[in-house]
Amino acid sequence: MSGQLIASIADGVVLAAILAVAAMGFTLQFSLTNVLNLSFGSVMTVGAFVAYLIAVVHLTPWLGIALGGVAGAVTTVVLGRGVLRLYARRRTQLFEMMMVTLGLSLIIDYTVQAISHNNIYGYSVLQGSALEMGPIRVTPVQVGIVILALVVLLATWGALKFTRMGKALRATAVEPGLARACGIPTGRVVLVTWVASGFLCGLAGVVFVISTQSVDYTTGEGFLPLVIAAAILGGVGNLWGAVGASLVMGIVTEVVAGLGQGGYSTVAGFAILVVVLLLRPGAVFGGSEDRQLVL
Amino acid sequence: MSAWSFYIGTLLIYFAVDALSAISLNLQFGYAGVVNFGYIVFQAAGAYAAAVVVLGKSAGPGSFQQYVFGAHLPFPLDLVVATLAGALLSLAVGLFSLRRMRRDYQAAMLLIVSLIALQVVSADVPLFNGANGLTGVGWPLGQIFGLSAPASPWVYAAWAVGITIVVYVGVVWLSRSPWGRSLRAMRDHEDAASAMGLNITALRLQVFVIGGAIAGLSGGLLVEYIGAWSPGAWGYAETFVVFTAIFVGGVGNYKGVLLGTLLVPIIFLELPRFLPSIGYPGLTDSLQWVAIGLAWMLCLLFRPRGIIPERRARARRLAATVLEPSPIKEGA
Repeated sequence: MSGQLIASIADGVVLAAILAVAAMGFTLQFSLTNVLNLSFGSVMTVGAFVAYLIAVVHLTPWLGIALGGVAGAVTTVVLGRGVLRLYARRRTQLFEMMMVTLGLSLIIDYTVQAISHNNIYGYSVLQGSALEMGPIRVTPVQVGIVILALVVLLATWGALKFTRMGKALRATAVEPGLARACGIPTGRVVLVTWVASGFLCGLAGVVFVISTQSVDYTTGEGFLPLVIAAAILGGVGNLWGAVGASLVMGIVTEVVAGLGQGGYSTVAGFAILVVVLLLRPGAVFGGSEDRQLVL
Repeated sequence: MSAWSFYIGTLLIYFAVDALSAISLNLQFGYAGVVNFGYIVFQAAGAYAAAVVVLGKSAGPGSFQQYVFGAHLPFPLDLVVATLAGALLSLAVGLFSLRRMRRDYQAAMLLIVSLIALQVVSADVPLFNGANGLTGVGWPLGQIFGLSAPASPWVYAAWAVGITIVVYVGVVWLSRSPWGRSLRAMRDHEDAASAMGLNITALRLQVFVIGGAIAGLSGGLLVEYIGAWSPGAWGYAETFVVFTAIFVGGVGNYKGVLLGTLLVPIIFLELPRFLPSIGYPGLTDSLQWVAIGLAWMLCLLFRPRGIIPERRARARRLAATVLEPSPIKEGA
């Protein structure tokens, strides 16, 4: 029993690593632009499919991981700069913008469905023989995913903390008007945010399908609930919070799945958010609707 | 009976079911400003509930299909159970998702509920037979007269349209009642409505449960005609067909909503049947969804109030003439 539990927790850490990459991207763009981007899951799917195509033409999976991230970045920039700006110019408000991203999600998902012939594709790359350490069985690729997440965390944290652009980004997230008045090129800051968060989004899509070993048009949409829950539970814009929340959700999700209730694993992750919301509404759902779109 | 007669009768039934959905969502979204992105889950709850009380005792694991409960309830208990299932589920969901919080968070939570519910029902086979779904659902009212729903679509259409008319009249009456006015007050200015003594959370929950009950009823009506229900029938995107119908027709205007229902789920989604098919089977379906997404985006861009917008209340015009020049700036 305890061996089973430990194995589930190890699986949970791997899931948390994937979730953390996505949640960092989500929280980054949400805190800066204030758009609750529901097309995030669809962009993950796009990244995953790009990586799959790379595998189909027999190029190295590492290229797939990199190009999946790039595809996420490009898609996000096109959506953010092209579409969302168009709506922002027509004085679309915070709430309507979320509905716009939902429409985008619908369009992307079903375009992918049309292109992929609505099939599920197997995607097994980089899978090695499992290492056994007591009750824990991990594959090298799972270790790689956790290391990747740690690298992404440190790189993002370092960039936000120590670079000029990171400082500008934090300033814009807190007070866009003042930041602009101080001479910070907020337009460029937003662009950098779209690129970085889009890259993380695509990357998360790729490592997710490496872990599940299959990809279809609902891949990202199925993962989106956990991403949003982790980003919100961690506190919007809080990098370490997002990682901590991912860890909690990843472990709870896998422990529930380990108990033989695979269908309810996502429910358990989401339930944490609901419980915290009921006990401490202010801690999670801070922030008012007065915040402005920054695009 | 010719194929055409069957087809038109079926379309009429779909129109009735979609109109019920649109009316209920318009009450929630158009009048109360509650953005129910998980609407389809409540319709699904009604459909599953009606199915298990019509199908009879489940033969258990290993048989053709397995599900919980299982009974042979006579008319009208089947539809009552469907309605109650929708209402109870929306009460449960509403209790945690309708608290005072940012509207975009609230909408996102309901979308998450929709996505998760689909995963749960697909994975938990003993609940409602998983991804394969339930089939062989009959029509209890028709059985009394020796009719079956698929064999007599026009009788069923008359029944479904009759129910829709009753619900339509009821919802319009509710919307014009003082309760309906307080919904609009809440939608337009939540803080002011709250200051006037309206209990915002309770109002939201009431409208959510009423909408959920209508959703459950529509699900029950639908499943008794088509006879089968599975997770493929209630993907998260289905909710947005109804939303698009409301956006196209007119947010907050019931006549507009009926027009939108005719235009989007009926004419727009049925039209491709008459066009030459392109590509592989299933491509048209995917492209239809893309088109729904595009219609949704265009509505948001150009006509956020729809073809027939909501009529502004007459009292406001009166107040404006009396108070002119108005000393109060709106939204100040």
